[in-house]
Amino acid sequence: MSASMKRTVSLARKELLHIVKDPRTLLIVFIMPLVQLVMFGYAFDLEIHLIPAGVVDRDNSTASRSLIESFRGSDLFRLSDLGDTSTDIETSFRSRKARAVIIVPAGFEKDLLRGPGADVQVIIDASDPNSAQLMKNYCGQAIAGFNASRGPGAAMPFDVRTSILYNPDLESAFFFVPGIVAMIMVMICALLTSITVAREKETGTMEQLLVSPVRPREIIAGKVLPYVFLAFLDGSFILVVGMVLFDVPFNGSLLLMVGLSTLYIITALSLGLMISTVARTQQVAIMMALTITMLPTIMLSGLVFPIESMPKVLQYATYIVPARYFLQIIRGILLKGSALVHLWQPALSLLVMTSILLAVSVRRFGMKLER
Amino acid sequence: MRRVFFMIRKEFRQIFRDPPMVAIIFLVPVVQMLILSFAITTEIKHVKLAVADLDNSAVTRGITRAFANTDRFDMNIVTDDPAAIKESMRSWDAQVGIVVLPGFGRDMTRGLAPQIDIVMDGVDGNAASVAMGYAAGILQDYGRENSFPAPRIAVQEPGSADAARIAGSAVFPVTMQERMWYNPDLDSKNYMVPGIVVVLLTILPMMLSGMSLVKEKEIGTLEQLQVTPLGRRELLMGKLTPFLILSFVELAIVTTVAVLAFGITMNGSYADLALSALLYLATTIGLGIFISTITGTQQQAMFVAWFFMMFMILMSGFFIPIENMPPVLQKITHLNPMRYFVAVVRDLFQKGTPLSMLWKDLLPMTLFGVAIFSFGVLKFRKRLS
Repeated sequence: MSASMKRTVSLARKELLHIVKDPRTLLIVFIMPLVQLVMFGYAFDLEIHLIPAGVVDRDNSTASRSLIESFRGSDLFRLSDLGDTSTDIETSFRSRKARAVIIVPAGFEKDLLRGPGADVQVIIDASDPNSAQLMKNYCGQAIAGFNASRGPGAAMPFDVRTSILYNPDLESAFFFVPGIVAMIMVMICALLTSITVAREKETGTMEQLLVSPVRPREIIAGKVLPYVFLAFLDGSFILVVGMVLFDVPFNGSLLLMVGLSTLYIITALSLGLMISTVARTQQVAIMMALTITMLPTIMLSGLVFPIESMPKVLQYATYIVPARYFLQIIRGILLKGSALVHLWQPALSLLVMTSILLAVSVRRFGMKLER
Repeated sequence: MRRVFFMIRKEFRQIFRDPPMVAIIFLVPVVQMLILSFAITTEIKHVKLAVADLDNSAVTRGITRAFANTDRFDMNIVTDDPAAIKESMRSWDAQVGIVVLPGFGRDMTRGLAPQIDIVMDGVDGNAASVAMGYAAGILQDYGRENSFPAPRIAVQEPGSADAARIAGSAVFPVTMQERMWYNPDLDSKNYMVPGIVVVLLTILPMMLSGMSLVKEKEIGTLEQLQVTPLGRRELLMGKLTPFLILSFVELAIVTTVAVLAFGITMNGSYADLALSALLYLATTIGLGIFISTITGTQQQAMFVAWFFMMFMILMSGFFIPIENMPPVLQKITHLNPMRYFVAVVRDLFQKGTPLSMLWKDLLPMTLFGVAIFSFGVLKFRKRLS
């Protein structure tokens, strides 16, 4: 072993000791993604049940009652009678006693039997637009069911067959497990490395390292290697838990996965090094790492919110977020069994990004140290 | 009193001496607000579409056009090989595929109800189910707008009462007329931006107060402060008042950005917002103190704070609606002070609900605030002595 390598290894061992001697951080690094995994895995149900809805029946006829029954029929609504005044709607929305109000106008039955058809008014509390849309669909279904029960309406002129690939039961865990892996890798590599370098600066030990025979390049390698190891360990840990707990599949090639993950980890590390060249205190390092690495990784990568739905400007911004590419890669490999043929675009983007970031950050870091 | 004042002045000096810190306090929230409110859209738009139209008749071209004409789908791949659709899903070039086999248009005009295949990429379950709804809606509208002969399906048993009634008279339908209150255009911004105000009012006070206390501990200046004539109460007051003031400045900035830059209407009163924020800050600053007592270094404090934050944000209904959670988790959200404040701020902004009607949220929130704050302070004082 060359002298340079020896120095790097002993530095890495020192750093590893730092990590191991801080069990609280270590615990959080492993427990936190686990909690997120369970929450994201179980927390999403794409339906809402028992929506509190108020009913104003101004017709009070057989037809109106049977229409209301069709709302009650499923467990989607929990109906309560508001009498025949609509003045209370505002109050019931504000006190959240109702999220939708169904108003059957007077003369409903007459219009329905003699033509030209009757209207029913549905007022929806749309403060949450997503569930408003859902409630509207449910109301539409209830009314369509009522119409259909009275005779054949306009059926679809074609037979739509829908099939869902890669995640037939629409499990949210399939979607989130790869995302949490991507997040934890950035967290360890960018956040922890920038903090550890900033701590050495803050406590003055960086100067001591500099007067030792260790060269800047060796300092970087020694500092960074343990975190590469930790990131791999934590990433695999989450993946395995996800596979055991939620039956997340691994359809692609393990080799490809390891290779591209390494690329991603190096990108995150370069970002961490870059931050540590700017930040002099841990507090600043933490805040910077959170805003320029964690936040984009969670918000602008497609981890939760689809990129296609964002405004154009933000979509362009996502091109410089490494996690955007890594998520396509890891979700592709795990769930779709994608090979390099399919993933060459994100892989190439990640490679280019890594090379630039690594070159710049190592140079900057070395320069800062030599000064 | 004078001593507390000096202490506060020292804290402010310490903050403003550090330019990155100033940027973090004043600039970052605005940037976060901008990014978050645009990125967190619960709408699904521009879903990438692949079409394999093997029929290529007027009818199928009409269907394809109907899909391409909305902003919900973007026509990305046009192919004549159904197998290519799956490949394009693997390379993320398509999320939804439509396959129409030869003879579709002919069968349709004959009323044979031909088959149309829709293939979905289910990886993002939420987006997939929304896109499925869109697709069904577009096909339904297309069928209705172009009157095709009704499919010949025997629905009723001959001789049944229903069949007799239907044969006797035409059936008139019920039409739904929906009104969307508070947010007629279903703009998710109106819902998310007030939530972001709460997120920022959670993160900053907790992080700043927790970290600044731990920092004194880590570099040993806390002991120095203890040997000064400053009492413990004065010390804590001097430490925390700046963060209370900064949090209110924060609230003012963020609310101004929300109203001026995003055009969010504030339907409630600003006084109500400030009052409820004060009650909520007891919780977040209290958590900051608590974190500083159980950690020794800034790094640990940051991680613990991050942990609390994640839990609070996820379980607050901020972006996963509470009603979409399984019942057990719904119950757990009642232990989350942020849950109440998210609801209060959203109702204040969107519905203009007076605080008197929000007591069901304000009461538990205040109780949590008082409990957490007193617990944090007690623990901190014990540590000091």
